[in-house]
Amino acid sequence: MPATLFEKYGGFGSVSRIVMTFYDKVLDSEDIGDFFDDVDMTRLIDHQTKFISYLLGGPISYSEERLRRTHATLDLNNEDFDEIARLLRETLVEHKFDPGDIKSVMREIEARRSAILSTGAP
Amino acid sequence: MSITAINQQLLRAIGVGIAVVGSKDLQVLFQNGPFSDWFGKPDAAAALTDLLPDIDIEKLRAEIEDQGRFTGEVSVKMKRRTLVIALTVSPAEEQDFLVVECQNITRIRELESMIESYSSMVERNTRELEREKERVERLLLNLMPRSVYEEFKTFGVVTPQLYESVSVVMLDFVGFTKFSSEHDPTVTLGELNDIFTAFDRIAEQFGCERIKTIGDAYLAVAGMPEPSPDHMRAVANCAVRFIRYLERRNQSHQHKWLARVGLGTGPAVGSVVGIQKYVYDVFGSAVNLAARLQEFANPMCVVAPDAMKEFLVDEFHLEDLGKREIRSFGEMRLMRVNPGVELAHRARQF
Repeated sequence: MPATLFEKYGGFGSVSRIVMTFYDKVLDSEDIGDFFDDVDMTRLIDHQTKFISYLLGGPISYSEERLRRTHATLDLNNEDFDEIARLLRETLVEHKFDPGDIKSVMREIEARRSAILSTGAP
Repeated sequence: MSITAINQQLLRAIGVGIAVVGSKDLQVLFQNGPFSDWFGKPDAAAALTDLLPDIDIEKLRAEIEDQGRFTGEVSVKMKRRTLVIALTVSPAEEQDFLVVECQNITRIRELESMIESYSSMVERNTRELEREKERVERLLLNLMPRSVYEEFKTFGVVTPQLYESVSVVMLDFVGFTKFSSEHDPTVTLGELNDIFTAFDRIAEQFGCERIKTIGDAYLAVAGMPEPSPDHMRAVANCAVRFIRYLERRNQSHQHKWLARVGLGTGPAVGSVVGIQKYVYDVFGSAVNLAARLQEFANPMCVVAPDAMKEFLVDEFHLEDLGKREIRSFGEMRLMRVNPGVELAHRARQF
């Protein structure tokens, strides 16, 4: 079985730093930071830790249904999604991910675009 | 530069928020940059209570009185981030001031929640692995007896073991090939599944262990891997109940099943066979004998070697079948095993 990115980049020790960088970037973003004005820090960190661990193949499963529920009330659009994806890419570059690995992570997140952008309405 | 000026400069430069307040009126006399960043710059006559409305002043005074210092935490919303600031308020030595020290512990709190999030993830995973392990164990226990599984788990191998004296019951359906050619395979399988599940329960109840099914044949043993002095009676008890179960089932089910049952007794070897595909199996004359005698049985009858007679005579109704030539066993006296008076009587009650 090939090692997951989660293992390749040093397990939770490194992923925790990635999550922290990403968390800061998201909160500091002029474009999308507003979405987090009233979000509880603990919840946001919990979500990001689990989601990034999941994207990297860490020890968690994160269903599309859960993604959908988490984002349903936010009314996000494609530009917001692109911005978050850009911030994630930037984070991974800063943490010296291989270009190939960044590509595959971006593919993973792109595959969930519709779930994340879904408003929960049928 | 005076000492006071240097001190003030120093206090301004550090990352810790510092304020000095009068101990009676709590009027802010001095505050450094970080303190202002977090709690704002007060007007001339502002008191600590204006800057930190969440602080319980009664408690603050009481703690300073009791313990010489007050510690607490306050949250400050800065832009969209909630900062967590740890406060320590202590009186300045021999002065009428209180010194308020503030540390930004937001990152620590953030990391704490991350660790919590991660450990919940890992704990959940561990629980799932535990469940998975149990599932695998249950599966393996279906393939081999528990004592064999324990040996397998501990040593990675199972040594073939010879049991001097065991008994075997072998059951085979009459007309199974015909039935399976005339019915959908799922129907056949459903029937077998239903019947074999019932047989498993009967076997367990009477101290037998199902070893395998080969197509429509059902093979169970008694006396191994746990030796038991009662192994002959165990297989005979199973055998007559298998038949009785089928008789009763036939009364209410669409498909009627007839079976022949053979009993055998003697030595057998039990072991796991194979490396990738584990199968616990038994070999030996007891097994071969049961298979041969089953062929001699009339439908819905149980045939056993005469050698089992003395062990079964008390409990079962035995009919002599005379001597027969058995392939690779030679001439052997056989008998038919029927339920004893007591069992037959009880069977009629239901």
